[in-house]
Amino acid sequence: MAAPVTSTERPASTQSGPADARPPRAPRPPRPNFRHIHRFPLPVTVHHVPPVIPHNPLSLISVVLSYLTFLISPPRQEVYSAYFDSATSSIHVTDEDAIKALWQMGFFGKGSLSRSEPSWLAREKKRRGLLGGKSSEEVTRQRRTERRELKLERARMEKLAIEERLKAEAAARESGATPDQDNQSTPADGTANDTATSTEKFSLRKAKEARMLEARNQAAQKAAVTDSTDQAEKSPNGKSVRFSPVVQKKEFLSNSPSSIKLPDPLVDSIEADEEPIFENEEHLQLSKEEAFFLAYSLGALNVYDAPAKAGQNQPNSIISTTSLLKLLCNHSYYPSRDASAALQPDDPFMLSYVVYHHFRSLGWVVRSGVKFGTDYLLYNRGPVFSHAEFAVIVIPSYSHSYWTETEERKEVIAAKQARSWWWLHCVNRVQAQVLKSLVVCYVEVPPPSASIDDIGALLGTYQVREFLIKRFVPNRMRD
Amino acid sequence: MADVDEDVVQTPATGQVEVDLSDETQDFRFLNHLNFLSDAASPSIPRRGEKDFEPNPTEHQADVLSASRDAMHNALSFPRLHRPKTTIIGYYAPGGYAAQAELDAQQDAQQAKQDEKTSESTQKKTPPDASKAATKPVNVSSDACVFVPNPKGQFFKTLGQADRKNRVWLLPEEALYLLERGSLDIRWPSTSDPEAVSIPMSLQAAYACFVGHGGLTLERFSVYTGLKRLGYALVRAPGWSDEVEATEDTDPASEPSPPKLHGPGLAGILGSLFKWIHDPRKTASTATGPIIGFGIHRHYMDVYRKLAIIPWYDPVTAPPSKPSDTTPPFRVVFHIYKPSTPFKKSAPPAPDFRVAVVSTRDQTTMPTLPQLGALLESTPLDPPHGEKMQRMMYMRLRHGYRNVVMAVVDQGVVSYLRIADSAFGKEKLFENKGGPQGNKRGGRGPGGPNKPKRR
Repeated sequence: MAAPVTSTERPASTQSGPADARPPRAPRPPRPNFRHIHRFPLPVTVHHVPPVIPHNPLSLISVVLSYLTFLISPPRQEVYSAYFDSATSSIHVTDEDAIKALWQMGFFGKGSLSRSEPSWLAREKKRRGLLGGKSSEEVTRQRRTERRELKLERARMEKLAIEERLKAEAAARESGATPDQDNQSTPADGTANDTATSTEKFSLRKAKEARMLEARNQAAQKAAVTDSTDQAEKSPNGKSVRFSPVVQKKEFLSNSPSSIKLPDPLVDSIEADEEPIFENEEHLQLSKEEAFFLAYSLGALNVYDAPAKAGQNQPNSIISTTSLLKLLCNHSYYPSRDASAALQPDDPFMLSYVVYHHFRSLGWVVRSGVKFGTDYLLYNRGPVFSHAEFAVIVIPSYSHSYWTETEERKEVIAAKQARSWWWLHCVNRVQAQVLKSLVVCYVEVPPPSASIDDIGALLGTYQVREFLIKRFVPNRMRD
Repeated sequence: MADVDEDVVQTPATGQVEVDLSDETQDFRFLNHLNFLSDAASPSIPRRGEKDFEPNPTEHQADVLSASRDAMHNALSFPRLHRPKTTIIGYYAPGGYAAQAELDAQQDAQQAKQDEKTSESTQKKTPPDASKAATKPVNVSSDACVFVPNPKGQFFKTLGQADRKNRVWLLPEEALYLLERGSLDIRWPSTSDPEAVSIPMSLQAAYACFVGHGGLTLERFSVYTGLKRLGYALVRAPGWSDEVEATEDTDPASEPSPPKLHGPGLAGILGSLFKWIHDPRKTASTATGPIIGFGIHRHYMDVYRKLAIIPWYDPVTAPPSKPSDTTPPFRVVFHIYKPSTPFKKSAPPAPDFRVAVVSTRDQTTMPTLPQLGALLESTPLDPPHGEKMQRMMYMRLRHGYRNVVMAVVDQGVVSYLRIADSAFGKEKLFENKGGPQGNKRGGRGPGGPNKPKRR
């Protein structure tokens, strides 16, 4: 498994020495060499022919030799095995090597206990103190905790500012009709410039700086520890500025500097000594499209109909691609359809597979886009290298004359094609927020065909067309 | 790893977030900085203050709020003067140019009779069915319904069409826009003498008369006036009127163009010589798979090329369609020009954007592929070009081969969407030698120096 260690973008500022003048930066742990780990874009072995140099006859020999070796001992294409799980209608890979290979070569699947890369074992080991470093999930969690702390800090500062102002205003009222000039002149003048400077707000950075300053003060006067706890306790008492009570409750925990709530490694490591070996309880979950692509297009996966039992030696039968297609199509409905149901040209699986295959064949790494409300995300080379640039939604289209022959069919296809404007705006706005470009991918559905004997021909009857939809802001397009 | 994406959601402070000022309620105190209100010597650009998200009990906030309100009232109470010198008076001609031309001709004839100078008037006299003959040479739209006898001012650089008598004819949306702006005074027609002083038209009456006249819907008008106020120049596109229905049924010749499958590749002579040994092609079968076949693969490019079995639409080879092929709401109705584009009324240049206007209450769903496809095919091919586009694949894809702007109007709220035909199939990502564009962690990793800005 690729070591899932990622560098921290923002190291915990509180952990380093408070006397540091510059923002403390913990040395980044070295990144694994992703370019090497993920050097194969597909789980297919490729054998390059040695180059032929025309004026060097020896190179010819090396070519012939390489072919001869292939002739004598043909290299085997690795075929991984997996089984279909009808309860989750996904395909499970349990073999360690297969999991590793499928993830590293083409980013297929998702760890059942992880966010994407199957890293449960490594995380668990680290949790028990068997391994150093951090898993990406931990890094994310830590970053989130820090961010939440900063926001709470900012809220606290704002509240303090408001309280101070209230006090000043009360004092001014008591002292009579001569209010504090500095405060009162601002609104009377009513200029945006003045208020911009006078209303002290705290950006995240400011909050960070303020906290650093605070930390330095604490170091200067060691006895001031109680101060910070005082403040921490004081802050949740007053009026909440912008956080829900749920977050507020956590303020107690998070205000003290090193309170990332992880299980204590010291305690756990003792247990770990007692049972140093434990099983990997995670498996790789392939989506239907991924599994069919691996099995049908690449021939790199055998899908069995049931999990392999421990005692037996693969007694289960391999599902043939034709019946696999049928099975996956029937399971693309919920509840899944009867096995005898005829294949429809617009089965959700067919539509999504056509799009999946299309983008895969162009070299994109296609992964589920469910977390951004889309069907797919398109990665260039893979998620470890760059953010996804495109988010794809799939919409069927029924232009063929077959679909408009009867009124009944017209109604059915109208319902299937319908997407409301509100839905489109929602999706579009979300993608703009996460800096993705929205791709609306229409799939032209052919009329029903008699057989699925030739899957390639069947897939060839579909057609895809991509539209890129982006908000157009006239205000900014004027130049 | 993919989870880092979610961090993007939470750290929009990278400076590239879209902050659309038009979405927010303005802080009207900036108005105090405008020069026409106070002759301030400091011509500084007003800066926006920080935003309070919640009310708090401080007097300070209340004061800021009231100051903002005062500023708005102050701005609104500024006296707006209409100087008689600059007043533009237009006349409503319900019959349009044709009827008016007829009327003119009659008057000319009367005048001619009176003056007994027939030589000139016979030339000008138009036949009773004047609509065709009159509009053709003069190029005044038949929908124009307001004429301005004395056109002056900067508006007429982009608005209206002049006729022979040097009057400018305004389309209903142009007249309504000017009237709303306070720049035009429209008079009801008087049968006796069209240029005699007559009753001014109210705004309500103008809306009643003009919206619905000549294909102008309220949606189209809100798009028109919104863009016009931003400084764009707009002209009606050929697809304006719904009457341009398809005369003959569109032939189903728009058959899917097959994917351009490349040849076997540059395997070389020797390669082909030895191909027979473990040629994966022999075991390749698209019927039951694997498509790429078993055996020895020479290169990933070959693998990818074999995988390309899904046909995709190629916007370059697709035949262009006429505006009549499009279905009514999804049809280009405006050509718009940026303020910076030199615009000549008589010879409008190629538009910067083409806009289709859709009302969400009449068309409740997104367009289907035929509708959207026809709309895009009615626009000219605009492939990505330029050095920057050559270099950056993401930009090429985002630009697309054709594009159109769709204004989706929901009860007066306009959302503009730019739709581009992006043809992913034309960008073979697997042929890309370099690393991915755009880095995960700014600056590090295999992006190289010419990494594009994300977004």
